[in-house]
Amino acid sequence: MAVAAPADLAAVLQTGDWAFVLGNWRVLLLGAVVTVVLMATSLTLGFLAGFPAGAVEAYGSGWTKELVSTAGVVLRGTPIVVLIVLFFFGIPVPKLGSVPVVDVRLSAFLAATLALGLRSGAYQSQVFRGAIQSIDEGQLEAARSVGLTHRQAVRHVIFPQAVRRSVPGFQNEFTIVLKDTSVAFAIGLAELLTRAENLYLQPGRDTAIMEVIIVISAVYFVLTFATNRTLDYLGDAFSIPEGSE
Amino acid sequence: MSLLEIEDVDKSYGDEEVLHDVSLAMDQRDVDVIVGPSGSGKSTLLRCVNRLTEVDDGAIYLDGEEIHGMDENDLRRRVGMVFQDFNLFAHRSALGNVTLGLTEVLELSETEAKSRAEEFLGRVGLADQADSYPSQLSGGQKQRVGIARALAMDPDLLLFDEPTSALDPELIGEVLAVMEDLAEGGMTMLCVTHEMGFARSAASTITFLDGGRIVERGPPEQLFETPEKERTRTFLGQLTDLNR
Amino acid sequence: MTDGEAVTDPTETRGSTIGSLPGRRRLVVVAVGSVFWTWLLARWAYHNTVLDWVATAFGTPDLVRAEQGVRGREGWIPAAPFEGAAEAVDGVAATLGPASALVDWLVWLFDLAAFATTTAPALAAGAFVTVYLTVVSMLLGLVIAVPLAVARIYGGRGLRSIALAYTELIRGTPLLAQLFFLYFGLPLAQIAESVGFTGQGPVPRAAAAVAVVGFTINSSAYQSEYIRSALQSVDPGQLTAARAVGLSELGGIRHVVLPQGLRFAIPGWTNEFVYLIKYSSLAAFITVPDLFRRARTIGSETFQFTDIYVIVGLFYLALVLTTALAMGRLERWVAIPGLGSASDRG
Ligand SMILES: Nc1ncnc2c1ncn2[C@@H]1O[C@H](COP(=O)(O)OP(=O)(O)OP(=O)(O)O)[C@@H](O)[C@H]1O
Ligand SMILES: [Mg+2]
Repeated sequence: MAVAAPADLAAVLQTGDWAFVLGNWRVLLLGAVVTVVLMATSLTLGFLAGFPAGAVEAYGSGWTKELVSTAGVVLRGTPIVVLIVLFFFGIPVPKLGSVPVVDVRLSAFLAATLALGLRSGAYQSQVFRGAIQSIDEGQLEAARSVGLTHRQAVRHVIFPQAVRRSVPGFQNEFTIVLKDTSVAFAIGLAELLTRAENLYLQPGRDTAIMEVIIVISAVYFVLTFATNRTLDYLGDAFSIPEGSE
Repeated sequence: MSLLEIEDVDKSYGDEEVLHDVSLAMDQRDVDVIVGPSGSGKSTLLRCVNRLTEVDDGAIYLDGEEIHGMDENDLRRRVGMVFQDFNLFAHRSALGNVTLGLTEVLELSETEAKSRAEEFLGRVGLADQADSYPSQLSGGQKQRVGIARALAMDPDLLLFDEPTSALDPELIGEVLAVMEDLAEGGMTMLCVTHEMGFARSAASTITFLDGGRIVERGPPEQLFETPEKERTRTFLGQLTDLNR
Repeated sequence: MTDGEAVTDPTETRGSTIGSLPGRRRLVVVAVGSVFWTWLLARWAYHNTVLDWVATAFGTPDLVRAEQGVRGREGWIPAAPFEGAAEAVDGVAATLGPASALVDWLVWLFDLAAFATTTAPALAAGAFVTVYLTVVSMLLGLVIAVPLAVARIYGGRGLRSIALAYTELIRGTPLLAQLFFLYFGLPLAQIAESVGFTGQGPVPRAAAAVAVVGFTINSSAYQSEYIRSALQSVDPGQLTAARAVGLSELGGIRHVVLPQGLRFAIPGWTNEFVYLIKYSSLAAFITVPDLFRRARTIGSETFQFTDIYVIVGLFYLALVLTTALAMGRLERWVAIPGLGSASDRG
């Protein structure tokens, strides 16, 4: 990794470099696609793992609960980069080859998805557990009082409300996972940041580092922005009218 | 045979004896009003009847059957409960609050449940609020939904735990009116309430509970006019003053 | 961008890392954590330049050995017993034939322990860098975050927009991209080097200085969000009352709002601290020899990637869990009766 030669800012931001970045828009676009797909698969995995984990932490007992909460502590207490490299080197993934157009090694993609997804699941489970526990005891009692079993009461009364209360927490997860996809750089997954580096590591292109990073930062920013706005919109659309109970 | 029979029920939380040797019996169509100071065990007694709380000792019979041996969900279907703070399902409309038990417990079809729920919402005067969510309703309306929710299950007995004490004074009347209607219609009701007007007009029996024991129990005229215990006179006197 | 409205999620908070540890597990963390920290502090002291200098002055030049390069350092716990155990168990496994999966596991564990003892000194040196990057950046970040939060709430239109743009820009882009920008994009490393960050003796290397800048900027944005929402939860009547006794607006903020609000911010702040311990690992990618980079180097020298990353994961876990516990203590210690307790904010 080369360090830019000392130069004043004006010289660093050369017009030729901007043209270089824009000329490579396809590369960066593919990177953005990989980033978004990685975010989507990770969040899906995170939800599939986190939702039941949260339920187990709220209602479970014995060794299942113990196991789930320990796994949660480990996943939340370890840096994401360590998790990514561990899943990459530590899990015997069969040789998976790569996807031609986007030039992504599947083993790297899988490792990143597992690491980002399971860690997100560990956080989502906390969100969901907290939401379950924040629901008033009376809701369960009322449901039981019309004769619903505990299971039915949890399923029809507690979960629907808990999921809605989890929305802000899940929304956080979207942006956190989106930003952390960049850490897959550590295993050379061809997402946005890795491609950016590939661009300026081309011979004679180290003058374009600033420009490349500014452009991809803008892309990340726009993605974060768009994600949040979409989720805000969805959150409003599916919210219970002014709930205060 | 009595519809509900409570026999020598004891209940403690830790060292605190909350109910002590409580016994009472209610016939069908009876309206029993329980009064007593805060902490005297009124809520606990009601919750024992639908087994939200289990008794330590003694027995409770519904229609001659020991409730402890019954399936608790079946029991609760037969014994409705109306709560002080409504406990409406916050994520469901007024209609949805009523239909949940119908579809899940009585296993009615969606359409049957809906029409039945509409009927009961109509009975409590809320036909036009079926699609409102709890947070869009006033306290009085919420409580009436709560009553419709319990009523729609076609219970043998309805429990009311201070149904009006969380309401602003001007909203109490609408809920009491519904309860009076029910009493006239022959519903068996066990009510914890300090609304003495309701007690006088609708109750068949008043039970005064203090410190987990039944101090006195009898028809309203007797307790209001010629109570046996001085304690009853002072307590009811205070309540009546308050209600005025 | 509309004024006063956050572009990214205005309430973004990062979930609590640990939550509450139940009694038994807490005890394990305290016990293992004390041993770990005792060892770590001893290790740091043993190779500390300043301590070496002091020890030499007192006539015991061999007590502290700062001159030893990180790679030449030797562990205090010998690896041989673990290697021996691994071999012995392996021998047993051979006799068991195919039904030896569990025993193989045991062998791996012993091998791992042996590997851990030989790599521990290098990792301890890396942990030192991790810890100081985190502590220094958090504190510097706090210095920026408080005025930033105050500007967000009480500032005029212009000040508010600047503060908003800063926090949103930082929180809307990945930390790793920010580090790259500072280190590879800007000539910051050269500047740092020219002012004396040369990596000689106790002075950190230029890359570390750049990392501190990056982490400070990044954490200031996140910290300011916690502080802002904490300040906003202070009853506005408090400021009015302060103005009513004749304090200026700034005086009221300084003497009434901040002392109350900053307490509310403590749970979020401590959580952010734990986050930075973890995210400081990204400094490895701008050549800072922190805990993660040490592990990566060892990995590429020995090709025992999985083993070293498991070990370094446990290292981080120990740092994070002990910090989380200590921070919980801190929260209870500074709590004021009747003012938002740590437990109601996750
Ligand atoms: N789940 C519980 N655990 C421990 N103690 C309880 C529990 N429920 C009730 N108690 C105690 O039992 C006593 C009686 O409570 P209960 O709610 O039955 O009184 P109440 O007559 O309904 O009072 P109020 O008028 O305030 O509603 C109180 O002292 C209360 O603190
Ligand atoms: Mg009560």
